[in-house]
Amino acid sequence: MKNPLEIIKVKRAEAINRILGRGYFSTKRVYVGMATCEIAAGSADVMEIFQTAIKNGLVDVYLSQKGCAGRCNLEPTVEVIEEGKIPVKYGLVDAGRAHEIIERHLKKGEVIEEWVIQ
Amino acid sequence: MGDSVTTNQPIEKRPRKQVEYNIILCSGPSCLHNKSSELYTEIVKQLEAFNCQSKVEIILSGCLGMCARGPIMVINPGYILYGDVGVNDVHDIIKGHIVDKTPFSQKVIHEDHLFNRFYRVFGDVKFFGKQMRIALRNCGIIDPEKIDDYLSVRGYEALAKVLTDYSPAEVIHQIQDSGLRGRGGAGFPTGLKWKLTADAEGEVKYVICNADEGDPGAFMDRSAIEGDPHSIIEGMLIGGYAVGAKKGFLYIRAEYPLAIKRLEKALTAAREQNFLGDNILGSNYSFDIEIRLGAGAFVCGEETALIQSIEGERGMPRPRPPYPSVRGLFDKPTLTNNVETWANIPVIILDGAKWFSTIGTKSSKGTKVFAVAGNVENTGLVEVPMGTTLREIIFDICGGIPGNRKFKALQTGGPSGGCLTEDSLDTQVDYESLAKAGSFMGSGGMIVMDDTTCMVNVARYFLEFTQNESCGKCTPCREGTKRMLEILTRITDGRGEVKDIEKLERLGAMISKASLCGLGRSAPNPVLSTLSKFRNEYEDHILHKKCTTGSCQAMLTYSINDQCIGCGACIRVCPVNAIKGIKRNPHTIDSELCIKCGECMKVCKFRAIDRV
Repeated sequence: MKNPLEIIKVKRAEAINRILGRGYFSTKRVYVGMATCEIAAGSADVMEIFQTAIKNGLVDVYLSQKGCAGRCNLEPTVEVIEEGKIPVKYGLVDAGRAHEIIERHLKKGEVIEEWVIQ
Repeated sequence: MGDSVTTNQPIEKRPRKQVEYNIILCSGPSCLHNKSSELYTEIVKQLEAFNCQSKVEIILSGCLGMCARGPIMVINPGYILYGDVGVNDVHDIIKGHIVDKTPFSQKVIHEDHLFNRFYRVFGDVKFFGKQMRIALRNCGIIDPEKIDDYLSVRGYEALAKVLTDYSPAEVIHQIQDSGLRGRGGAGFPTGLKWKLTADAEGEVKYVICNADEGDPGAFMDRSAIEGDPHSIIEGMLIGGYAVGAKKGFLYIRAEYPLAIKRLEKALTAAREQNFLGDNILGSNYSFDIEIRLGAGAFVCGEETALIQSIEGERGMPRPRPPYPSVRGLFDKPTLTNNVETWANIPVIILDGAKWFSTIGTKSSKGTKVFAVAGNVENTGLVEVPMGTTLREIIFDICGGIPGNRKFKALQTGGPSGGCLTEDSLDTQVDYESLAKAGSFMGSGGMIVMDDTTCMVNVARYFLEFTQNESCGKCTPCREGTKRMLEILTRITDGRGEVKDIEKLERLGAMISKASLCGLGRSAPNPVLSTLSKFRNEYEDHILHKKCTTGSCQAMLTYSINDQCIGCGACIRVCPVNAIKGIKRNPHTIDSELCIKCGECMKVCKFRAIDRV
């Protein structure tokens, strides 16, 4: 019989496979902060905008929620990770900025410097 | 939190420092970098060669725990890990990452984007550079509602390791050796607490997670649960195994609906995967966790009151001994730890007590999470190694005081703590140093106050809080805090009497000594500490009936100066008709009638209203 450590290794491999199956290896991964504080600052709307965009044909994007990283005064935060590039974290993302991030960054690959948390 | 900022402005770039990148070099026992090591000098040399030394800060960190791939170098923004870095690679890495803004891919440890244990920091070098995330390692990184995400970052591996390799006694040894102390505030050694519970006689034992977070301005536990609920569950599972418990309770306040929802989801997912339930992962160990909701009483954060509340009784503390580790929940031996303490457990098991004990100071090991609020540029959740100074937290990580105001005081430990002044800012964060400076570690609330804050009013605010939350069981706390609050209210209302300071001190000392539980014993702290450090403000209020900061409304008088053109705007807004005057002639305020609401001042366009 397998011992717990062997079982957990299998479980982790399965979990990673499921994550990959959800499209983790997309060129761009987008994480939206969704803790109570972020939601209070409006991140639920931002999340919905990204979801709608994917439903309406935005491809090659892996979208996920995340907890609060502690950046209270700049919430809602959205992270965009691209393989081989330096990841980007946007602060104070409202509906308008979310739309622009989709149009400019996710579709055209342009980092919108002035909203990046430096 | 995020509610007071307008979103249409670009994020301010802080002018203070121009650091854009930091390079973290592992100085752990197997990498052994220091300022004279070859790699370090090469980095300095290359930075100078590319003329970018001014925007890069080099930080030597404790062991990053990736000794197999060392030497390790991390560059932020991005938290990009470079492994197996040789002296010859430095040129390429710095040219690629910092000059061309493209990571030097040959040396990047790729799989660590999601699957690593370490925090991922995007941009934000100043905020995250000096932080170290252990308890919050997954917060803001994984999807808290998906157990797959947690599994992918070595989730539940610590549990499996314990079940495979360790006896309960060995687990307790690990925790004792790590030097971990309770993160709820008092700092009791966690390993000892576990040992006492394990040694207590009895077949049935319980484990409790105290998530009854109640300090004003504190939200560490909420964030930890909302961001990474499985870590806490895993910690409790390990604790249950170590002390021989089969059942755990998670006591959380009903005001945290999202945290509760995510915990429930996490518990269900953990049951489906057999991390909870019978014969966990094929072993003999069985354990399950039940959520109990608290109604938000502050006193229920006290261990014995919390236990009574879970039992269905009114949440009131009871005298100790017997200690809960011997006779606790349902009269059985019970182990209670705070959320943050539990979140540390899996890391200690996975990376070893030895590694954990290299972080921090002599008496306090590991990291501490603080919720920084108040008059700081970047309010937020900060996790720093013990031994970081308060100055580093407030000025380096949180960006200092906004609006060019001056730092005045810092309240740590919430309503049980004390305030610290400018001269204590170089105090290192650990249990003993903070106590020595006249405050208290507490659960991690940190409220920064600038020079517009009236300290008497602050003391009154905290006392009002504890007075409201006093359960009423013991007289010193119930009556004593009430009397103290009356005196403080009198002082801030401008009716203070000469003997009040003395009375406050006497009452405070009495309450501290005679109260039954920590709530009462610490309730006078904010008053006593402001009295010792800002006595002059109390005297101004009492003797001169003056609040220098203008916070105590009752002591202000409004009057109209000769700028008044008699427009009548103030007459129209005054809710008590205290302003009289004929049109186009200067008006006057009847100070007897005036309720000092300040409405007239807001509408006056001619700066004709003075407030003294």
